[in-house]
Amino acid sequence: MRRGLVAAFREIDATCDAIEALKKKKYEFTVYTPTPRHEIEHAVAAPMSPVRRYTLIGGLLGVTFGYWIAVWTSEYWPLVVGGKAIASWIPYTIIGFETMVLVGALSTVAAMFINSRIPKITATVGFDPRFTHGDYGIFVEAAPERLKEAEETLRAHGAVEVRGES
Amino acid sequence: MATFAEPLRPNVASADVQLPGVRDYEQVDTEIIGTLKPTAGWFGALGVAIAMFLVGAAAWIYQIYWGLGNAGYAPPVMWGVYIITFVFWVGIGHAGTLISAILFLFRAGFRTTIYRCAEAMTVFAVMTAGLFPIIHIGRPWKFFWLIPYPNWRLIWPNFKSPLVWDVFAISTYLTVSSTFLYVGLIPDIAVLRDRETNPLRKRILAILSLGWRNSEPEWRHFMKMYLFLAAFSTPLVLSVHSVVSFDFAMALTPGWHATIFPPYFVAGAIFSGIGMVFTIIIPIRKFFKLQHYVTINHLDAAAKLALFTSMVVGCAYLIEFWVAWYSGVAAEQDYFWNRVFGEWWWAAWIMLTCNMIFPLSLFSQKLRRNPTWLFILSIFINIGMWFERFVIIVPSLSHEFEPWQWGHYVPSWVDMSILVGSFGWFFMWFLLFIKQLPVVAIAEVKEIVPPKLRSHARGHGLDPSGHHLPYGTETPGEFD
Repeated sequence: MRRGLVAAFREIDATCDAIEALKKKKYEFTVYTPTPRHEIEHAVAAPMSPVRRYTLIGGLLGVTFGYWIAVWTSEYWPLVVGGKAIASWIPYTIIGFETMVLVGALSTVAAMFINSRIPKITATVGFDPRFTHGDYGIFVEAAPERLKEAEETLRAHGAVEVRGES
Repeated sequence: MATFAEPLRPNVASADVQLPGVRDYEQVDTEIIGTLKPTAGWFGALGVAIAMFLVGAAAWIYQIYWGLGNAGYAPPVMWGVYIITFVFWVGIGHAGTLISAILFLFRAGFRTTIYRCAEAMTVFAVMTAGLFPIIHIGRPWKFFWLIPYPNWRLIWPNFKSPLVWDVFAISTYLTVSSTFLYVGLIPDIAVLRDRETNPLRKRILAILSLGWRNSEPEWRHFMKMYLFLAAFSTPLVLSVHSVVSFDFAMALTPGWHATIFPPYFVAGAIFSGIGMVFTIIIPIRKFFKLQHYVTINHLDAAAKLALFTSMVVGCAYLIEFWVAWYSGVAAEQDYFWNRVFGEWWWAAWIMLTCNMIFPLSLFSQKLRRNPTWLFILSIFINIGMWFERFVIIVPSLSHEFEPWQWGHYVPSWVDMSILVGSFGWFFMWFLLFIKQLPVVAIAEVKEIVPPKLRSHARGHGLDPSGHHLPYGTETPGEFD
C-alpha cells in the first residue's frame, strides 16, 4: 500500500531544492504554494496546461453557433427589410463574436475545472491549511519502504515539519 | 543641450508597483481577512443603500401598476432616464474589465490591489444596467421575447436589430465578467476557508472554494485559464459598448448617426468606470486601513489613466462639433448649436466641465497623489458621464429634422426614484460583497511580496529571518 508524507517549508528556495532532489530520486509528489511562483514552476517542469485546446474548440463552436442561429432563423422567415440580404453576415458577426466569447470563456473555465480535478468534495489527503497561508508544501507518495529516505531528503532540504499521511 | 529636472516622484506607471508596507504572506492574510469584520459604519451604509433601493423598487411597482405613462416620456422623446441610466451603468462596468483583464495582459503592476474591487463593481454595475431595458419596455414580463428560444409559433428575433445585439452583448458580458470574478476568487475563498473558525461559514466557504488546495497543477491550469479569460474579456469589453453605441449610431437621428460612436462610447465608458473606481476605492482604503495596499502610487497611475481617457472623450466631443460643421447638413449643425447654446446648454456644459475641464487638473502630480481631490473629482466624473448620456439622448430626440416635431422632456418622480434606486441596488450588492469576500486579491498580492528565502546571501533585499528589507528611496514605492 502506498503511503504519503506531507512536508511544510517556510522558504521558496528550500522548496525548490527539495523538489529537485525528489525528482532525481524519482518520487511522485504534489507541490503546494500560497501563490503561483515561477521558481516552483521551473523546478517542477510540468508539461504545458492543455486548457488552451478547450478554449480553441469552445471558441470555434461558439462562433459557429452564433452565425448558424442568425442565418437559420433569417432563412426561416425570409422577410426583406430595407433591401438588405436575408442572411446579412456583417451584422451577424456581432452575434457570432459574442457567442464565441461566451462559449470560449465558459469552455476555458470548464477546462480548468476538469484538469485541476475540481470541485473536490472528498476529504483531502496530503494537504495542510498552512499551504493557503504562508508555507510551501510537498506531499510525497511512495511505497512504505521508501518513506524513510523521502523524509530524510525533505528534512535535509529545510522542511520545518514532516508528517505521515495515509 | 537641454537639461531635465529630476522628477519629484518615480514614474510609477512604468514600473512594477511594490508594496513596502507588506512584509510577508501571513500579514496579507491577516490584514485582508481583518477587513471582513462588519462595523457600525458598514451597517449604516448598507441601511442607506437598502432604503434607496426600496424607493426605486416602490417606484417601479407603481409604474408597473399604473403604466409607462408615469415615466415622463412625451413624444418625441420616448427614450429618457432609463436608457440614459442603462448606458451609464454599462459604462461603469467597463473600467472593471479594463483593470482586471486589459491591464493584466499589459502586465501593469498597479492593477493588482484595485482589480478585485473594480471587477466586483463591473458585475454589480452590469446587473444594474440590465434592469433598465426591462424597466423601459413597460411590460417587464415580456422581456424574454428578445431571447432566441424555440417556440411553437416559430418566431425569432430580428438579428439585424441593434437591440438584439445588445441582448447578446450584455448577457455575454454579465456571464463572462461574473465568471471571471468568481474564478479569481476561488484561491482567496480557500484562504478564508482555512482561516475560518465558525463551522457553518467554514462549510459554506469550503463549498464555494470547490476544494481548492493551492497545488502546483491547480495553479498551472488556473494561470492559463486566467490568461485566456483576460484575452477574451479584452475584445469583449470593447465590443459591448460599441454595440451599445450602435443603438444610437444605427439611427438617422441628428447627433447619433456617426461613425465615431463606438470608440467614443468605449473611451467614455472606461473614463466613467475609473471615476467610479475612485469613488469606491478611496473610502475603502481609508476605512479598511488599506493605504499600504492601495498606495498613493496606485492612485497616481490610475489617475493617469483617467486623464488619458478624459482627453480621448474630450477629443471626441470636439470632433463631433467639427464633423457637424464640415458635413454641411443643416439639421446636424442646428442640433449641435442647440446642444451647447440652445435649450440644453446647461446639461452640455455640465458634461463638458466635468468630463473635459476638471480632469485636466490631473496633469498636476500633486493632485494625482491627493486622494481627497481624486474622490471629489470622481463625483464630478460620475455626474458628468451621466449627463453625457443625457446630452446624447434627450437633445437629439427632442430636436430632430422637422421643427413642428420638436418637443421637451422633463423626467418624472418615478424616473428619478428609479435612478436613485439603481444606486441603492448597486451599493447594496457592493457593500454585501466587501464584507463577505476579500476586496483585495490575496493570492495576487502575495505574488508581488518577495518570498522568504533560506539563505540571506541568496536573497537580494531580505533580512536574516527571510522578510524583505524596507525599500530605499530609489525604489518605486510608497513615499508619502
